[in-house]
Amino acid sequence: MQEIRKRLTKIEERLNYISQVKGSEKWGNVDSVLQRFVAVRDAIFDISTDKMATKIHTLEDEISFLEERAEESLTGMDRVRIVRSPLRFSLKDILENVYDDYTELGGEEEASIDASMVCAKATVSAKIKGKTVTQQVMVIGHEKGHGEEYRNGGCSKPWGNEKALRFMMVAQTEGIPIHAYIFTPGSFPVEEYPGAGQQIARNIYAMTKLEVPIISIISEGGSGGAEAIGCSDYRLMFSHGYYSVISPEGGAAIEGKVREGQKIPMEMVESCAERLKITATDNLRLKTIDRIVEEPLLGAKRDAYEFFKRVKYEMIRATDEVVLKTKSLRAFRNYEMKLNRSRKELGDDAHIDVSWELNRDEMARLLEMRSKKYRAMGCEGICAKGSFLGRLASRVKEKSSKYFYNIRYDMLHSHQKQVKQVMHDVTSESAVVIKQVAGPLASVFDFFTRRQESPALLVGGEDLNREQVYDNTYTSPLANEDRTVTCPNSERLGCKDLWVPDLYGQFGGVCENCGHHFPLEYQWYLKHLFDRDSIREFNSKLLARNPLNSPDFEKRLKVAIKKTGRRSSMITFDARVRGVEVVVAMLYSNFRNGTVGSTEGEKFVQAAERARMMRRPLLSYVHTTGGIRIQEGTLGVTQMPKCTMAVREYVDAGGLYVVVYDNNSYAGPVASFLGCSYYQFAIRSSRIGFAGPRVIRDTTGVDIPPDYHSARNALKRGHIQGIWDRREFRTNLHKSLMTMGGKSLYYR
Amino acid sequence: MKAKILIANRGEIAIRIAKACEDLGHDFVMIYTDADKDSEHVVRYADQTGKDQKVWRISSYTDPNEILSIADHTSCTAIHPGYGFFSEDFRFARRVTVRDRPLIFIGPKWEVIKDLGDKINTKKVANELGIPTIPGTSAPIYNEMEAESVAEKLLLEQREQGISDPSILVKAAAGGGGMGIEEVHRLEQFRQVYREVKNYAKRQFGDGGVLIETCLRDYNHLEVQLLCSQHGERIHFGTRNCTIQSTGRQKRLEAAPGFDDSCFNYAFDANDVLEKVVDYSLKLAAHVRYDNVGTWEWIVARNGQPYLLEVNTRIQVENDVSARISYYKKKQPNLIREQIRVALGAKIGYSQRKIKFKGACIEFRIVAEDTGRDFAPWIGKITRFDFPKHDWSAVYTQVPSDRHYDIPSDFDPNLALALVWGDNIAQAKERGRAFLEEVFIEGETSAGEPMMTNLQYLAENIDRLLTF
Amino acid sequence: MSQQDTINYDAVLSKFREDPFAYVDINAMHTGHIRFHVREGDKVEGLTGDFRHIKGTLLCELTRERNQKPIHCTTNGEVSFVNKVLDGQFVQAGEKIMTIRHPLKKREIIEQILRDVLVPFAAPEKAKYYFAMDIQNRIEKFGQRSVSVKAGDEVFTMSLMKRDTPVYYTGEAGIIHSVYFKPGQSMELGEPLVGVCPPEKVAVVEKIITRVKAEWE
Repeated sequence: MQEIRKRLTKIEERLNYISQVKGSEKWGNVDSVLQRFVAVRDAIFDISTDKMATKIHTLEDEISFLEERAEESLTGMDRVRIVRSPLRFSLKDILENVYDDYTELGGEEEASIDASMVCAKATVSAKIKGKTVTQQVMVIGHEKGHGEEYRNGGCSKPWGNEKALRFMMVAQTEGIPIHAYIFTPGSFPVEEYPGAGQQIARNIYAMTKLEVPIISIISEGGSGGAEAIGCSDYRLMFSHGYYSVISPEGGAAIEGKVREGQKIPMEMVESCAERLKITATDNLRLKTIDRIVEEPLLGAKRDAYEFFKRVKYEMIRATDEVVLKTKSLRAFRNYEMKLNRSRKELGDDAHIDVSWELNRDEMARLLEMRSKKYRAMGCEGICAKGSFLGRLASRVKEKSSKYFYNIRYDMLHSHQKQVKQVMHDVTSESAVVIKQVAGPLASVFDFFTRRQESPALLVGGEDLNREQVYDNTYTSPLANEDRTVTCPNSERLGCKDLWVPDLYGQFGGVCENCGHHFPLEYQWYLKHLFDRDSIREFNSKLLARNPLNSPDFEKRLKVAIKKTGRRSSMITFDARVRGVEVVVAMLYSNFRNGTVGSTEGEKFVQAAERARMMRRPLLSYVHTTGGIRIQEGTLGVTQMPKCTMAVREYVDAGGLYVVVYDNNSYAGPVASFLGCSYYQFAIRSSRIGFAGPRVIRDTTGVDIPPDYHSARNALKRGHIQGIWDRREFRTNLHKSLMTMGGKSLYYR
Repeated sequence: MKAKILIANRGEIAIRIAKACEDLGHDFVMIYTDADKDSEHVVRYADQTGKDQKVWRISSYTDPNEILSIADHTSCTAIHPGYGFFSEDFRFARRVTVRDRPLIFIGPKWEVIKDLGDKINTKKVANELGIPTIPGTSAPIYNEMEAESVAEKLLLEQREQGISDPSILVKAAAGGGGMGIEEVHRLEQFRQVYREVKNYAKRQFGDGGVLIETCLRDYNHLEVQLLCSQHGERIHFGTRNCTIQSTGRQKRLEAAPGFDDSCFNYAFDANDVLEKVVDYSLKLAAHVRYDNVGTWEWIVARNGQPYLLEVNTRIQVENDVSARISYYKKKQPNLIREQIRVALGAKIGYSQRKIKFKGACIEFRIVAEDTGRDFAPWIGKITRFDFPKHDWSAVYTQVPSDRHYDIPSDFDPNLALALVWGDNIAQAKERGRAFLEEVFIEGETSAGEPMMTNLQYLAENIDRLLTF
Repeated sequence: MSQQDTINYDAVLSKFREDPFAYVDINAMHTGHIRFHVREGDKVEGLTGDFRHIKGTLLCELTRERNQKPIHCTTNGEVSFVNKVLDGQFVQAGEKIMTIRHPLKKREIIEQILRDVLVPFAAPEKAKYYFAMDIQNRIEKFGQRSVSVKAGDEVFTMSLMKRDTPVYYTGEAGIIHSVYFKPGQSMELGEPLVGVCPPEKVAVVEKIITRVKAEWE
């Protein structure tokens, strides 16, 4: 009897779980099975035990069949529901079952600065040839179960991510690998110290060059929250997890332009989950992860002990792999061979003895490989325009100019003091050297690049030559209208209505009474920020694409291209600010609200590389960014670590990286390659933050003050270093370059 | 062509402009704010309603949107800014003339207002034309070394001229209205003061530019009244002297002509200096193609050296002082009328030779104030307001004589302008004294204290006119 | 005889019971063409939201120089009068557009009753008033009820004839209980600026508050 009861309970559990995963009892007639189950259960005293057993057996078979069918037809949204199920395993289960022993660091259970983020020093051991070999790792990950009431659903607060960073540093000091477990629907979107975005950016920035192997594995990978601990040498993913740029509900609300308070139709959410390409297979195909760890049918639950064994094996193997690759390719091949051999003998439990300690050289190789890994990431989303030969040609071109700058800066640098006076002569001499060296290449180069255009001049672009109303300099086209507008501060500060031609002409879009900045088009900045005719755009041909083939998005992209006359939301160019040469990466609002996708990321990285090569300061001017372009899914998300890596390498090489925010800057970019800058400034009346008011309201249930994201509050929180008046942008920028860049403007 | 002119001003000047419009046969519209509802400039024209409504209530005299809104609604074709408010605001003038429904701005064209409104620019242009300006920098200085050498030179020059206690002024270039100005007597003090002013300017105006110029003490403040048309005609109406000012540098008494040998034993040929400043003024006016009424302000040192101070590109309060010593066809002209005429495109129609200068004129600005306490404004209710009537005097006021009047607290408590003229300065002074004797202004504060005016101060200062 | 004996609560409260409303006039803040968005009898809302950042009901729109400016309601209640003839017309500044009948809240009734109890400090001139810098800072930091004043304190700045004059407090010492003016708003001579509560009246004030709270539902 006891046995039967147990089986009945189990059946009920399984049925409930199926309908939970499928989001409905209607799926696969689960409800009718459930009815039959109820009939059987209610008849428990009416029929004989044997008969009962048969009936139960039939039900069990039926359910197993249902489960298999359910597994076969798992949709994106089903996976989201699996991951969200309270039955799913969580970090605590892994700590208990994968590792031998562990000590939680930086708090215990509820008594923690942020219980949604767990850090633990753990030991993991493998049996190798009958001997137990134990090694230490730092486990860092989100926890949403085992005390749900204080885990905040696995949404880490900025201080939780800071804790993670702190213990990553400990791991670095101790030279032990990091195992990062990602179980988060996203970071808790508060701006309190130092702000969700700032902390994520700091984490990614640190992880790009953290000198220990980092292995990450995703169960629930919610965008920025995932990246905060996800920048790693080896990226695994559980087969039933999801990794996404945004929650399907959030995505559907944005794409479907659903107003707040309105219910989002379930079909929309379902189809959005499909479009976002959030499954493990999708991610493997997009190369945003390296391997999938298989889970049992319909996902692993807390009692999936076999599965935990598998996880242990995979984590050790991944760590071994990363470590071995730093030694030599041969060592790694050897390992693979040995592993395959012993697997034949011992099955999945097989392990090879690999010490996880790295020496200096190996560390350098580790970082180099990490760098290459992220450099290549997200490239699936870009169409390299031109043929292979074209690409070769541009590589040749890059190489030769690299050579020139190497001579100019590196070679001369050591002699600089003595040869300062004859610097001119030397530079012209080095030009001769280049001619000799690059001469043969140049003719090849010319041949290949005949069809390529010379760097496009921005000046001739749209709207820029428009009729000038009052002044000789550029006047915003907004000024060509005889009407007035109200300053938003008029009620409080008594600002008079502003006449539009004055406002957008002479006042530079600034209320003359209170200094409120009205938004101006990005062209205004091109004209007022940089020296006349100094702008030379590069990579203007790189085209924003629709790598996930999101339906309708192709059309929307075309509209944006037609509207702006540009091919992506990022403009990269060389320019001068009062004679100082800079490389600029600029995100602007007109093109898909300044969102960042693979093309924008690639353009940014190339701009950073160019700045590094030419020893010039790098300026990110953010006219507006709405975050990562959600239609590119995780390809977009990986732009965060990818671009941050580029910044880190540029800065480590001695570069000066300045970020200036304007209008609205939110989400992914702010939480990575913008927010990681040491020198961030904002233009007055701009807003900077991680998530907008609506998302905050949805996730935290709290209304935020209207000025929550204001530049002034960002300054108070220590996110930015200063607020600039638009009319003094040029002066301030020049001053910043001079004071922070030092003599060489490339500050080391 | 009949124009409809919106008078974008208040008080006595609004009334003067309205009269000029009536004289010329133009229609006009008045504006007022609630605080001014009892002013004569409102009450006098309030009887018409409906299509002919002449007075319109707005929220503020300083909001251009209000003025243009009324101008459009009442189908005005021109705007007269009067003095103060928008009279020298080139942006207002520009907006009025370039908007979709353009109006005539009764004043110089906006480009001229802009160029001459910039004191540094005016000084630069004047120097290029050989017109003397106060010695000093012609552009903002940002460099301490450079500043010091300028200071040294200016102090030395003064000493060479025999000035016993020379000094210079250090001014914030972006400042105005007397803010950020410091006086330096000795070169050793200079650096300290320079840094203070520079930091002040940077903090206050966001620009650390500093101007340095010779500090003139003991001088006369002269004005040249010009009238120019859009057809290149340029004539003047002589000079006036407005040296006597309240502590806040507000003018209280003015007289024309600018100097008179009977008043003081000048160390220079007075007529020669007056001619010189008039010539210089016309020269600059020609250079910038000035096209309306305007006043060129001059400083004349005790030794007779004139310096151009600035140009006021508007009709001034005291314009009538000049008109009352000028005669065209034996009649005193009305400069506001002339201003409207030329702004609407007419030619002046007569030449300088046709203007005969005769006699002298004095203007008193009657203000409710406590001259003994730093000219503090007085506020309260006026219960009696009587002026004598003579054929050698004129009074311009917005204060009614037939009813009680509360002085509005939003503006300066100017009560009236009184002008007296005579065959010579002695007679004008005599008539001025007699006139002031006959003025009766009474009133009381909310606390029941009696009215205070500057009548006595004006009478006491008559003798100081046109002296050093 | 103390103050509390002079208050006839029943009389005062029954006066409010008879007409428990405040009548708020909405005037045109400047010239322009007006378009109404509410009718007489409509219910309207004032500012709402945790930070009073959500605008109230749209009452009308005033268009001047092609700037269509919405006028939102700042208090809740009912539109009791609309100057209908103005709809679609050009209005002068300050013209009365409509009246909102606002049901008085307990707090507002208490405030009105207290006007007669507290020691008023009247505007010495028709002028614009501001709190003195020091007082303003203290009010911002600690709230007005924690700011006490005594005779001779510089409490206000009077802006008159473009000049700022300090105004010194005269009268009984106490805390600033109520503020009756908005900074920068023009006040008529003799209008009370603040109501001061001297220490001995604290009991009376509290009594009034409890009384009204108890009797007003």
